[in-house]
Amino acid sequence: MEKSKTAKSGTEKGRKKLSFRTMWKIHGIIFVSPFLIGFVAFFLVPLVNTIYYSLNQVGVGDQGGMTFQWNGIQNYIDLFQTEVTTTSTTMARLFTEENSTMLLSLPLIVVFSLFMALLANQKFKGRAVVRLLFFLPIILGIDVVMDMLQVTTGSANLDTGSSLLSGSYVTVFLVRTLNVPRRILYPIMNYVENIFTLISQAGVQTLVYLTALQSISPSLYEVAKMEGATAYETFWKVTIPSIMNITFFVVIYTIVDLFLRSSIAEEAYAFAFTQGKIGVGSALSVVYILNVVLVLALAALLLRKVVKKNEK
Amino acid sequence: MKNKTKYSKMDANLAIYLFKNKSKRNSVKVISLVLILGLCFTIIYPILSLVPIVFSSTEDLGNPNVIWIPQEFSTVSFKAAIRLVMPEGAMTMVKSILYAVGIMILQVFFSAMVGYSLARVNFWGRRIVFGMVILVFLLPRQSLLLAQYISFVHFDVLGIMNLFTKAGEINLINNPIVLVLLAVFGFGVNQSLFIFLFSQFFKNIPKELEEASLIDGCGFYRTYFRIMLPNAVPIISTVAILSFVWNYGDTYYTNYFNPNGEYMSTLLSSTFITANKDYILNALTTWYDVPVATDMAFDAVKQAGVLIFLIPLLIVYLVGQRKLVENMENSGLVG
Repeated sequence: MEKSKTAKSGTEKGRKKLSFRTMWKIHGIIFVSPFLIGFVAFFLVPLVNTIYYSLNQVGVGDQGGMTFQWNGIQNYIDLFQTEVTTTSTTMARLFTEENSTMLLSLPLIVVFSLFMALLANQKFKGRAVVRLLFFLPIILGIDVVMDMLQVTTGSANLDTGSSLLSGSYVTVFLVRTLNVPRRILYPIMNYVENIFTLISQAGVQTLVYLTALQSISPSLYEVAKMEGATAYETFWKVTIPSIMNITFFVVIYTIVDLFLRSSIAEEAYAFAFTQGKIGVGSALSVVYILNVVLVLALAALLLRKVVKKNEK
Repeated sequence: MKNKTKYSKMDANLAIYLFKNKSKRNSVKVISLVLILGLCFTIIYPILSLVPIVFSSTEDLGNPNVIWIPQEFSTVSFKAAIRLVMPEGAMTMVKSILYAVGIMILQVFFSAMVGYSLARVNFWGRRIVFGMVILVFLLPRQSLLLAQYISFVHFDVLGIMNLFTKAGEINLINNPIVLVLLAVFGFGVNQSLFIFLFSQFFKNIPKELEEASLIDGCGFYRTYFRIMLPNAVPIISTVAILSFVWNYGDTYYTNYFNPNGEYMSTLLSSTFITANKDYILNALTTWYDVPVATDMAFDAVKQAGVLIFLIPLLIVYLVGQRKLVENMENSGLVG
């Protein structure tokens, strides 16, 4: 910019513009560089190392370093055939349990957070207070708090709302009078009893949904009303299509969040540093990564279709 | 429903229609009100139910006659909890808060930078970097725990450490600097989500602002710090609140990378494990001359600890909650 008085020919100008743009890009890269360094140091290298460890028998050398002995896929075979978790279940079972609970809670959390957001979006007196309470799960859902709120002794007036229902009149009535089969009733009751757990995992999602609902243009609802749509129709034809994109985000976020809460980390850590089997621990991590990628890819594929269908 | 009195047929129909409409609207209102009240109750019930437990004397615990109002008011549980999880008294909490605030500032500062650059600067490979952010967000952090842990145990950047130590590496585990490094380089608690939120926000800021500041002679950095950052206050406060809450409550990074550090969250989760129960009950009886300390006393102390732990979070939440919804709306995540 200093020499702008002298340089005025067209080519000079073009070059200067280009170099300005290039400078801008370089500044941009400087801004991103912390993340890039972090990505290499805390993500890429650990990822490659994890895969490398998982294919080796890792030992501790004489001088405190690590020794590697090529092992092929032996670690993976061991993982699923001989190794057990800290609670003595097999790995295959651990993964099935993790995935099935996840797939069950995922739709519940998504629908429930939407439901809470719909309720909080209505106009009524004391809405501020209700919203204050509705987003409390963002705080109460933190792992430590949830762990600490759990009660070690199961006394009736001490628990967090669980086992209120199992002996209640409602259950007895449903089973005895209406003959609802227990096999269907009990899993449902289980979720109802643990509703606080469900709510505690839906804090951020509710917040996101509420903002999405508020950003839907009121004129859309007005049009729907003028055209004589019922509330039910309005919900399915206006509200749902408008929040389909955000549902995509919510579902992915929920899956990631649920995976974050899983106990795999402790298992891998226990393998590596309690039992000294770094190779097996790494193999577990690799299997876990594959599992996460698979679930996410499936969810993304399914959702893409639904989102597209709704956008038309 | 035929009405043959003085109303004409149309009027009657209209009246029925209006009545139907009104009753429908009212019933919907009542139902949703009931649902809202029920949900509110479920959310605060676990906290409410703690109050009688933590304030009653230990003998009263398990007394079937005492449900909501303790017979004898006592703060033994609180005293015990403070003595157990706050070795330095209030300083422990202050330190935890300072830690969370420090990491929060680092996270906000560096995520905002990365987010801005991803949203506004069209540098080479921007899409790839954006993909990296998403990838980091998607893969759960635990999956790389082992390798990260080992890399911190044998910490060495391109052989630089050879200059400082004999072994050519230093052990960074239990050194709080690990947590700082993670936050600076974009790998703190949920930091990829923060980067994503920032970039979504900056995408929606009008281009004219940038152009105007350029014409006025601001460079890249001045544009960013003088124009873009002040305009990003909504998203900054949202991310700051979330970051504070998550860092203060974090047990993952603190537990694995700095296990000896005295953070409230890790102290809580490591003190009140079932294996420690007898020790805590013994402590109760010897410290406070409590005649009987049952398992329920253990829970009471534990939950008193949680309530103390929650105080700063609740304050932050009460102050910031109103803004949270408004700010999320401006965050660009939606729509």
